[in-house]
Amino acid sequence: MRLLVVEDDVQNRRFLEKTLTESGYEVSLAPTAAAAERVFRSAVNLSAVILDLGLPDEDGLSLITRLKQQGLRAPVLILSARRSVDDRVRGLETGGDDYLVKPFAAPELLARLRNLIRRNSPPVDNVTVLQVLDLRLDLLRREATRGDEKLQLTTHEFSLLEFLCRNAGRIVSRSMILDQVWGMRIEPDTNVVDVHIYRLRGKVETRGSEPLIRTIRGVGYVLRDK
Amino acid sequence: MSSATNSRRGITAAWRISGWSTLIFAVGAIVAFFFLHRFVSHEIQRRSDAWLLGEVEVLGDVAERTPKGILYDRIVDEIAELATKEVPTESQNTQNPNDAVFFLELGPDNSLKLWVGKGNSSDYLTPIRAAAIRPGIPGNISVVGAPIPFRIVADKTEAGDTIYLGLSEHNNRLLLRRMRVYFFSSGATIVLLGFILVFVTSRRTLARVEAVTDIAARIGQNDLKSRVPEVDGNDEIARLARTVNGMLDRIEKSVNQLHTITDSLAHDLRSPMTAIRGKLEMVLLADTNGQWSDPLGSAVEEIDRLTELLTKSLDVAEANADALRLRRQHLDLNALLRTIVDLYEPSLTDRGIRVDLYSTGPATIFADSALMHRMLANLLDNAGKHLPAGSKVTFRLSSSAGQILLIVDDDGPGFPPETLSHLFERFVKGPHSKGTGLGLAFVEAVVRAHDGQITAANRTPQGASFTITLPASSV
Repeated sequence: MRLLVVEDDVQNRRFLEKTLTESGYEVSLAPTAAAAERVFRSAVNLSAVILDLGLPDEDGLSLITRLKQQGLRAPVLILSARRSVDDRVRGLETGGDDYLVKPFAAPELLARLRNLIRRNSPPVDNVTVLQVLDLRLDLLRREATRGDEKLQLTTHEFSLLEFLCRNAGRIVSRSMILDQVWGMRIEPDTNVVDVHIYRLRGKVETRGSEPLIRTIRGVGYVLRDK
Repeated sequence: MSSATNSRRGITAAWRISGWSTLIFAVGAIVAFFFLHRFVSHEIQRRSDAWLLGEVEVLGDVAERTPKGILYDRIVDEIAELATKEVPTESQNTQNPNDAVFFLELGPDNSLKLWVGKGNSSDYLTPIRAAAIRPGIPGNISVVGAPIPFRIVADKTEAGDTIYLGLSEHNNRLLLRRMRVYFFSSGATIVLLGFILVFVTSRRTLARVEAVTDIAARIGQNDLKSRVPEVDGNDEIARLARTVNGMLDRIEKSVNQLHTITDSLAHDLRSPMTAIRGKLEMVLLADTNGQWSDPLGSAVEEIDRLTELLTKSLDVAEANADALRLRRQHLDLNALLRTIVDLYEPSLTDRGIRVDLYSTGPATIFADSALMHRMLANLLDNAGKHLPAGSKVTFRLSSSAGQILLIVDDDGPGFPPETLSHLFERFVKGPHSKGTGLGLAFVEAVVRAHDGQITAANRTPQGASFTITLPASSV
């Protein structure tokens, strides 16, 4: 899958390239809007565009509008260093694109990117059961079992576990959890998410076995899938 | 709601202006009439006195020259009759001239010599004697049976007789009364017309002022683009409109400037933070044996905290300048509060703090949901950070009369008295606070940006309390 990354900052460009390449994407880099347009014309099939709003030669939003007029179908993930995200950017969100405010965590970038690409591609057969190791989630009946044992989970705990399962083997950050499970883009001063994870662990993990949910300090959590 | 208040104020001002100007006009008219009335009544008196004096002289002459004899009475009587016919009256048809005029001659010994007039001469004689009228100086007498006093003059003949000629004040009074009626009816009409004219004019003028006020009031959180419609002419209100428009241009410019500054400041600080965070994260994920995970993880967390601090302080700065950008939508504060209390509950319980939520049901507000989320998160963070284990915090949500009321009570140590008065200022924190000093400033800023109010107080015997009111959504 080929991505177009439009970012003028060298450091960030390098970081994005490394992160995305390691995750298996092919990456075309463009430091300016003009370069981005050249890449867009030559590239055959773009899966997504990652775009920094503050470009030296053109406003990022007008670039998107122009590229879309020229036939860009791929979804756009906007990186914004602007503090409160502009109305216009939020408007795009509803149009199938997404935004991420700097600084962001690499896992969050990857998760949002996956989300965007999935939303933009034809729907695959609907998943009704998630299975990770011996953990099994029935999404229709909203029941979770570990091995043979049925887990007693609250609504939010089930949603949290579902989110971790969907991203099994990949790191999810606290702000992703807050956004996806509770629908809030907030940055709590206190350890609210950690306590939810801690409680979930108490219900999901059995004593003595290797922990299922790993904490990665400063980054987030990952549900072990092997 | 604000425009309704304005129009009420406009009507009051129009009433006040018209009331005062009408009052002043009416008082002026009454004073003017008072002087006019005095002048006219004096003039009428002067004229009737002149007539009386002239007539009494003629009568005196006649009485003197007519030989005393059998014909004397008849001749004088005739002359007096004639004189009474000359009375300057407008209502001769309706009134017997004898009612209006009388003639009386007294001898030197004060005995009645001649009486021409209506009624009994003695009715007149008594007041005339009492009044002691001197020749050439007119005087007034009241006569029994005649409701209106008489003006009389006297003349002395050479024979020592005194001749009195009296003229009823009736006609003068009638004239003056008619003048008063004319004046009051026309005066009242003019005053009424004046009131209507002033009222309509001031209403129209104030309506133009109101248009300016409405525009100026609308300028706030969301609308910086409205302008007072361009007014032609160069009167005071047109100048006011132009001045307000000029001021709005400057406000819009400085708010936009503030946004540019805060945005570029955020951009300039965030880009390097993104780079640092990215690098730390790369190292952290590559550090498979976990040797550096503690310092690296805490460095990433510090960067996240720094970012939030930056965001919050710029938000509070913008809010203090009433320039917070809102993206409003209808949202149910009740559902939102339940979700967020649910989110925070485990973390608070872990700290030994109990959280309760009482609500009277849905409470729809028209607000920016992202800001509301962060505002409520700040309140709960505040509780988590400041309450000791064993405390209890209670959220009470209710709605009444277009207002949503949220009361947050706790039974903790309360606010230190020295910080209570400036609790919502930036970087104000209690002596033992671990916070940034921005949380409550942010809460207050968000509430104010949504046209709400927040107050904080200490409870008795202990604890703190926040009261937040927000306007309910009209939908």
